[in-house]
Amino acid sequence: MHQTNSKLRFRTKSVLTGWSFVLLAVILIFVFYFYPMLQALILSFQTGTGSNLTFTGFDNYSRLLSDKTFIVSVKNTFIYLLVQVPLMIILALFISVLLNDSKLRFKGFFRTAIFLPCVTSLVAYSVVFKYLFSGNGLVNTMLLKLHLVSAPIEWITDPFWAKITIIIAITWRWTGYNMIFYLSALQNIDHSIYEAAKIDGASSTRQFFGITVPLLKPIILFTSITSTIGTLQLFDEVMNITKGGPGNATQTISQYIYNLSFKYAADFGYAATVSYSIVIMIALLSVIQFKVAGDKNG
Amino acid sequence: MKKGFALVLICLLLLTACSSNSGSKNSGNTAADTGKTENTTATEPAQAKEITIWAWDPAFNIAALEVAKAEYAKTNPDVKINIVEYAQADIIQKLNTGLNSGTTKGLPNIVLIEDYRSQSFLQSYKDSFYDLSSSIKGTDFADYKSGPTSLDGKQYGIPFDSGVTGLYLRTDYLEQAGYKLADLQDIDWKQYIEIGKAVKEKTGKALITLDPNDLGLIRVMIQSAGEWYLKEDGKTPNIAGNAPLKEAFEIYKELTESNVAKVHADWSQFVAALNSGDVASVPTGNWITPSITAEASQSGKWGIAPLPKLTVNKSVHASNLGGSSWYVMNVDGKETAADFMAKTFGSNVEMYQKLLTDIGVIGTFKAAAGGEAYSQANEFFSGQKIVSDFAAWTEQIPSVNYGINTYAIEDILIVEMQNYLNGKDIDSVLSDAQAQAESQIK
Repeated sequence: MHQTNSKLRFRTKSVLTGWSFVLLAVILIFVFYFYPMLQALILSFQTGTGSNLTFTGFDNYSRLLSDKTFIVSVKNTFIYLLVQVPLMIILALFISVLLNDSKLRFKGFFRTAIFLPCVTSLVAYSVVFKYLFSGNGLVNTMLLKLHLVSAPIEWITDPFWAKITIIIAITWRWTGYNMIFYLSALQNIDHSIYEAAKIDGASSTRQFFGITVPLLKPIILFTSITSTIGTLQLFDEVMNITKGGPGNATQTISQYIYNLSFKYAADFGYAATVSYSIVIMIALLSVIQFKVAGDKNG
Repeated sequence: MKKGFALVLICLLLLTACSSNSGSKNSGNTAADTGKTENTTATEPAQAKEITIWAWDPAFNIAALEVAKAEYAKTNPDVKINIVEYAQADIIQKLNTGLNSGTTKGLPNIVLIEDYRSQSFLQSYKDSFYDLSSSIKGTDFADYKSGPTSLDGKQYGIPFDSGVTGLYLRTDYLEQAGYKLADLQDIDWKQYIEIGKAVKEKTGKALITLDPNDLGLIRVMIQSAGEWYLKEDGKTPNIAGNAPLKEAFEIYKELTESNVAKVHADWSQFVAALNSGDVASVPTGNWITPSITAEASQSGKWGIAPLPKLTVNKSVHASNLGGSSWYVMNVDGKETAADFMAKTFGSNVEMYQKLLTDIGVIGTFKAAAGGEAYSQANEFFSGQKIVSDFAAWTEQIPSVNYGINTYAIEDILIVEMQNYLNGKDIDSVLSDAQAQAESQIK
């Protein structure tokens, strides 16, 4: 009896000691993560401009479903998601395999060059892209000089091309970031597996699909989830390159939140509702991605 | 030991709970603080020693503030005035987050707000702005400024620059097309497009440059007819059945379809189009003058005609685009801030002459228009007395209620404008926009 008692005491003591170590972190997380999240949730049930907020229950949520601007923003965001994320992941995979080749020279230079966009400032690169793709910008001048187009493309002021410009911009910015994950994962694959495959007569394409891709699966899942989250929160590029225009052809959900909060008469309640719609979408998409690509235990 | 630890844990939890609550209680605290300081100011009438002002545009608003600061220092040398420059979008964000958080710390004493947005701030954050009714008289300023700067019969803003519009023209291009400045004195927008076609044919230059994301031109047109996106109450959307708006849309479409318009995507491209000589005219606010005169090589090639008018309603040759006013925040130092504003922008006729000659600011203070600087000839515009022209047009600007939703409605209209340009019928364009505006604005 005495023994069990002291055992128990020891266990509680060790549990409490454990907690005391993480207590500060827990408190900080509560104050700076969960409390604002809860406040935002409460806010999403309120309507009004500025500080004249009143509780209106689910009004904001029902408004969401009939709000054309919101629906267009969601549609735009999903176009970016469906086009850009697979494009970027395939590109990153391809480049990382090339850069992992042991025979390649100046590896460091290429890796740095491709990773460099990720460390540039979001605003700075957006502004540069805006000028590169403007009516008489470098891209149009080059295309005209090479006789690929007969008239300058309206990269920023045409609804279709504006979307393409945004997709090019985010692909440029984030491919290198994903590439780094693939590179580090590739270096963990034992070289002897490839040698064995070679001896068995597998072509390099076969090796890629038979060995590289399956072994990179967890990393591919990870990058696709982080990219999905990133794309659903896309803001800086659109804000700085097209301001959501022309019309609302490139407007994303995050930019709509910004507009509701700061461009129009400040409607923080509805903006919080729209923010929560992103939370719900990210949660759903992540679950789907785990189900489709994840291992049973992962 | 165990109990002691549990106690510590509970205390810590309570502490966090308190600290997280303090955010929402802050407003109460600061209100109490302000009350305290008010008391002290009541017993010691000493003024605040320091006030802070937020504004944008160093070449225009900030420069005007510097003039006012120097002017005020003559009589009140002890007051330190900090002028902080932020981009307009940053000011809006900072104000919104500051006012909404309930704490007044970090807010300025005086802030510049665009007229289209001022009501959204005044109505959304009642009591956050200081009533200036006893410091200045709203009737001393241009009539159309009273709508944006007052609420419930109280004067909250000191009306500042006029957004009075004019039609800036390249007279050399016009002459090549067989027109003189005098031919454009009393035209409507359709005649304007006809002239543009002739200019395009003779010189190859575009008549106008447009930004598909900015319907400023539409705003200018409808205000010239005394209409707005909203009805007189500032709340009900006024889109379907708004005859001036319909005509403005039709003119906009004609401008794009008759091949006389160039497209730009932002401000720098806009100014570049004017300075490079790519466009023959700019119908816009008088604040564009410094940007146009910045290209010294074009001196003598520009002239300013009255704004073309619509054919419907009682449209006049005068309108407004942009323009902003000063607001005193209801925080410590408000009396000093109000005093600063009243003695400078609120009454100083001499200062307005200096603002005009040094910076090119056309104020809306009525008494200032009689000053000498207002009737000076401008060499860049071939000796035209542009300021007295603008001052005369300022008086004709129809007063409208901008309400609080100008930009929300405009974003709806921008989309519908694209649909209209792509062939959608005008009446369904306007009725669809009306329906959407009604569902969004509550």
